Amino acid sequence: MLKLWNERLRRHQLNQFKYLRLIFNDNFVLAFIVLIGALGFWYSNLLGTIHQPLLLGKPIVILLLFLATQVGGIATLLEAPDSTFLLVKEKEFYRYFKAAKNYSSFVPIVTLALVNFLLSAFASRGAGMHILDIVVVAIGLIIFKLGFLNVNLMEIYGRAKFGSLSMRLVSNLLLVVALIVSTYWFSWTMIIIGLGYYFFLNAQSKTLETSGQLEWKYAIETENQRMFRIKRFYNLFTDVPGVNSKIKRRKWLDGLYKPIKLVNNNTYLYLFARGFVRNNEYIGLFLRLTVIQAIMLALIDNFYISLIVEMLFIYLVGFQLKPYFKEVMQNLMQRLYPISGKTKIADFTKLSTIILSIQWIVSALAIFYKFGFSINSLIIIVAGLAVLIFVNYFYMPRQLKKYLD
Amino acid sequence: MTLEVKELTGGYGQVSVLKKETFTVESGQVVGLIGLNGAGKSTTIKHIIGLLTPRGGQILIDGISLHDDVEKYRKKIAYVPEMPILYPELTLREHIDLTIMAYDLDHDKTWENANKLLKTFRLNNKLDWFPQNFSKGMKQKVMIVCAFMTDASLFIIDEPFTGLDPLAVNDLLNIVEEKKQAGCSVLMSTHVLATVQNHADKFVLINHGQVRADGTLDQLKAKFDMQKDSNLDDIYIKMSNEDL
Repeated sequence: MLKLWNERLRRHQLNQFKYLRLIFNDNFVLAFIVLIGALGFWYSNLLGTIHQPLLLGKPIVILLLFLATQVGGIATLLEAPDSTFLLVKEKEFYRYFKAAKNYSSFVPIVTLALVNFLLSAFASRGAGMHILDIVVVAIGLIIFKLGFLNVNLMEIYGRAKFGSLSMRLVSNLLLVVALIVSTYWFSWTMIIIGLGYYFFLNAQSKTLETSGQLEWKYAIETENQRMFRIKRFYNLFTDVPGVNSKIKRRKWLDGLYKPIKLVNNNTYLYLFARGFVRNNEYIGLFLRLTVIQAIMLALIDNFYISLIVEMLFIYLVGFQLKPYFKEVMQNLMQRLYPISGKTKIADFTKLSTIILSIQWIVSALAIFYKFGFSINSLIIIVAGLAVLIFVNYFYMPRQLKKYLD
Repeated sequence: MTLEVKELTGGYGQVSVLKKETFTVESGQVVGLIGLNGAGKSTTIKHIIGLLTPRGGQILIDGISLHDDVEKYRKKIAYVPEMPILYPELTLREHIDLTIMAYDLDHDKTWENANKLLKTFRLNNKLDWFPQNFSKGMKQKVMIVCAFMTDASLFIIDEPFTGLDPLAVNDLLNIVEEKKQAGCSVLMSTHVLATVQNHADKFVLINHGQVRADGTLDQLKAKFDMQKDSNLDDIYIKMSNEDL
């Protein structure tokens, strides 16, 4: 079983590295630096405005620490066929999961350390906490989280119950209480509760080794969802095969397709328009990026940063539309249609022009809101238009060609 | 409509699955493509519909190849794949509209055909459904409707009988018969030998990527030295045993 785990972990990590390498290309690094820069700029500005502890300071710290503790669960790396092929090995799976749990403690530890580190500036300034208290709470939280991973393990066995209450709920309540007590009164509470919780759950999960019965369906579904979330994240930056997204009818938007006449030339526009609107993945991406862009533009007071945000986000949305074209091109039936590749690309460009124009108009409104009708606004907006034209008429047609066959 | 496959050699990547296949499908003929799993039936079909490019040989429909005139060639073919392939974002009604647009068909006339077929397969009240709500058999019926409502002259069906309920199999056979009467040709690959034996005019037996034999049932019996009362199953088993 341990061999199986190690083998899977190796394959999983290899996969992750492959995607990470794809993600950390020039585009992303550029976007990432700008984003981090903008956020850092905003954070230090914010800290500069705080001169004495705020009333809401501690509640904010508690909330953020609570959320940070929710990050990361057990990566079981289970696969759907396991429930058929490895059913006979069920008893031995405990050791497999034990190894999985150890491996899975890495992400939460790093997350909690990082969040606490970044939050410490605000915690000392805005919430009036002592640095030592912050460190103590951080260590307590990490111990607590290590205990909490046992809850994930017990859920796989369908045993995460505390009386009639779900263990997850009880744990989170305990966490909130511990956080409140340790931020307001006595910071060592977090470590004490964390240790008690950790030892209690470790003892609890030991019993699974002899008497546990796996909830296969739940375990596999949870792992699939976890994988899906990771892949969907990667999919924001690069093409990930096998990411199927949810589809909604959205009948109330049917009016949008009215202008598309039912003629041969419009075959692909007909298809692309409906697909884009109904596939949560693509419309979701467009909406998220457009809203984030608009908010950033409406808040940031710096001409150069706004200029970069305007250009970068329009490019990003255009860039992220490519996988949708690829997805449709992978449908076998459409390859049989008596329609040329040129028409397919032309139809897709029509759709992307409409989408990027909407984004451009929204961003222009945000810019006018922040900079007024000034020469600066005009420069930013024209730069956005230039990116829009570049993406639709130079970048896209070349890039899409390689997906045709 | 005539389909000619001449000395077809091809396959995926570097491996040649098909080796010099030759057979024809004449106007008004229903031809059964028969062979073991992995014999090369689906690969043959993929070459005919133009998803794979032949490494050698020729495929002609009414004398033209895919290379001569892509659009003309493709308009002559309607294809029902083994596994249904639908657009997850389109409703059944939109699949029909899209097919009409793609093949530049007459909207009203085609819908008339489609409605008849939809009724036959009891899909007429599911026009606003998404593919994810259909069972496998229903998806297959959608594929059949979208193929048979067109004015193609060659219908290629890959494994049509598996997954369909007996009633639908019967309905499909009636539709095939209708198309045959209208002068169209049908090429179908299948393992359901008893059904195809009664409904096909001719059989092409494929083994290891080659045409082992083709002809009517009587011709095949003669070629394999079989008794008068033997059926397609017997011939099939005899062909498979030749490898041993």
